[in-house]
Amino acid sequence: MEQFIVNIIHRPEMVPEYAEKVTGQGKAEDIGRKALLTESLDIFKTQQDCAHRHGLKTTIQMTYASLFNDEAVALAKEHHERYGDEIALSLLGLPCEEFRKKYNTKDFCIWMFSMEDKKAIVRDVFGKFHDRFGFYPESTGSYYLDAELINFIKAEYPQVKCAVATCWEEGPKAYHTCNNSWYTLMDGGPWAPWIPSKQNTHAPAANAEEDSGIVAIPHLSRDLLACYDGNGSNFGTHPQNVLRGMIYDTSTWEFPYLYNLIDQYRALAKYNDGYAYNMMFVGPGWMNKMGRWEAPYELLLKSYEEGCAYYGELKRQGKLTDMTMSEFADYYRAKKGYTVPECALWRDILYGSKKQLFWYCDPYMRACVNMDQGGALVDLRPYVAKLEWPVGIGTKHVQDASYPFLIQEKYRAGYFTHYAGEGTVRSAKLRYRGEEVDLCLCRTKAHFEREGGERRLTLDPVTVEFDGLSVTLQTVIAFPEGESCIRYERRVLSMSDPDAQVQIDEYMVGCYGTTEYPEDMTSLTLRVDAGEDSVALPYEYKCREAGADGAARVSCDVPPIKTRVSMTCEGRQPRGYVREGYAFSPMFALGYTGTLREKEVFTTWLKLEKAD
Amino acid sequence: MAQAGKGRLNYRCPSCFMRDLDIDMFYDKERGEYYCLRCQYVGTEEDVLQKNEMARFRYRAMRKRFTDFEDFSD
Ligand SMILES: [Zn+2]
Repeated sequence: MEQFIVNIIHRPEMVPEYAEKVTGQGKAEDIGRKALLTESLDIFKTQQDCAHRHGLKTTIQMTYASLFNDEAVALAKEHHERYGDEIALSLLGLPCEEFRKKYNTKDFCIWMFSMEDKKAIVRDVFGKFHDRFGFYPESTGSYYLDAELINFIKAEYPQVKCAVATCWEEGPKAYHTCNNSWYTLMDGGPWAPWIPSKQNTHAPAANAEEDSGIVAIPHLSRDLLACYDGNGSNFGTHPQNVLRGMIYDTSTWEFPYLYNLIDQYRALAKYNDGYAYNMMFVGPGWMNKMGRWEAPYELLLKSYEEGCAYYGELKRQGKLTDMTMSEFADYYRAKKGYTVPECALWRDILYGSKKQLFWYCDPYMRACVNMDQGGALVDLRPYVAKLEWPVGIGTKHVQDASYPFLIQEKYRAGYFTHYAGEGTVRSAKLRYRGEEVDLCLCRTKAHFEREGGERRLTLDPVTVEFDGLSVTLQTVIAFPEGESCIRYERRVLSMSDPDAQVQIDEYMVGCYGTTEYPEDMTSLTLRVDAGEDSVALPYEYKCREAGADGAARVSCDVPPIKTRVSMTCEGRQPRGYVREGYAFSPMFALGYTGTLREKEVFTTWLKLEKAD
Repeated sequence: MAQAGKGRLNYRCPSCFMRDLDIDMFYDKERGEYYCLRCQYVGTEEDVLQKNEMARFRYRAMRKRFTDFEDFSD
């Protein structure tokens, strides 16, 4: 039976993010203002009431500031008794007078503090929680929790089993949307719950050895197409995200998009053995009495009320199970094996296009396939490297917590570039008598199936028209479980001239990074493995190319992200090649060319390995 | 001339919104207009609301309810 789980989380934040900036405009900063505290607690009460009235239980994530407030503590206890809400502890909402006095800083994002401060704050907050409730929490979280922090929390407070640990694709795009003033740089993580590895929060654990001991959930369930290109904070299961995106009818205040988003998440059960997940986590700052941006308070309230009503209605129909975070962690542990991937075939539900993407996440990679570009791979994160990437003050990455990519079509160009150079993508080109067509230009749709441990996309056939020859080709993309590789099969179903043959060029253009800007490529090495004809090409921006007929493998070592990416091939007349980039095209390319005749298949494997 | 403040609601700049930038505008009481600190947009409340409607042009399926997410027929 299919099961759709929802976690509804509320936090009594005594100084909500935004509120001081919004309601306090024209006043000198004063986070102890009585009016601010009263309003914040009122919002929390309203949110709790919305959920309870619709028959939903919540997870109450107490904030540091709220632990100093008797009323907030009493409410949490009462709601736990009456509604079965879980009393948990958030590492968001640190700012308050007590915190500022003690730590002498205005920092409020737990992952950005020095490790020393992280430890002191965690001990302080967990200790204070214990003082107030007499037990330690089982759930915690923030927008992001780095691996070192999770490991520390788990070691000190072993009963913690669940945490909000990343915000999907909240990175440079969110930063830009906030006029480069919102430093949550954490792209490249899972969009659905996962078990973080001890080495890197974003990368799921491959086995018990790597298991950090917690189940992580994302902050919000986000639109896997809209958030990938646009501002993440407009397209999530946070009713007020949808208002921020202005995705409502101003005359009726209707917002069917929110329900489409929830329903598309429900539909993901089909690709994940009958399980699907949602979370709703709205900070109190978003239900400000002053309104938030264009939306008056009445609309903010309506959106939250109706969001809860929709989940409540699904529950009444037996289509949804509400759980607390710790209940969910137990459920997830019982349900999911380490190497079982999370899959999402996702369509556009907002812009009226028919774009379709496929997202895949397992302990070895996160990948995005774009059917609007013939099944090209447009985003690739090599989780297999389990990159140790400490963040916070005192590390090399004070703010940047993103998991690096090898391919990212939005930041480092995809198929289309201006005038020169190449962009990151993994696709194929067909050539015939001097003409060349990239499959990125063949729009299609995919069908998902699972056979044993293999998840597979079969794409609708596409036709490539050359002068004097038309080729109908089908792509099959397979993800064999636990193998850290993606198999691409290109099958010629028919040709207008059955005796013709076309050249195929299966390629990957890659680089590495976490932002739009190029990185130093000089530590990379490209290789063609072909016995005596083997070549190693250290990257020097010299625009060189090397190749060999029948090459066993082509690869690139990317030391800054401890990753080796390689391709192998099976087909007619295979020739492996590697290509160095140049300053105006700071990329590398790997690939295989070969020939295809009617009814033939050309198969390539893209493999990711950890390379120390 | 007195300093600007916030208007009735925290209107964002419609021009910046269309390039995925959320920037609160400030309100000039004397001229009765909102203005953007980052770009050159200036407008009355009425103009802001009208431009916000325009910003929705890309949400062509905003009013549509989907039932089958693998059905691409029109
Ligand atoms: Zn502007």
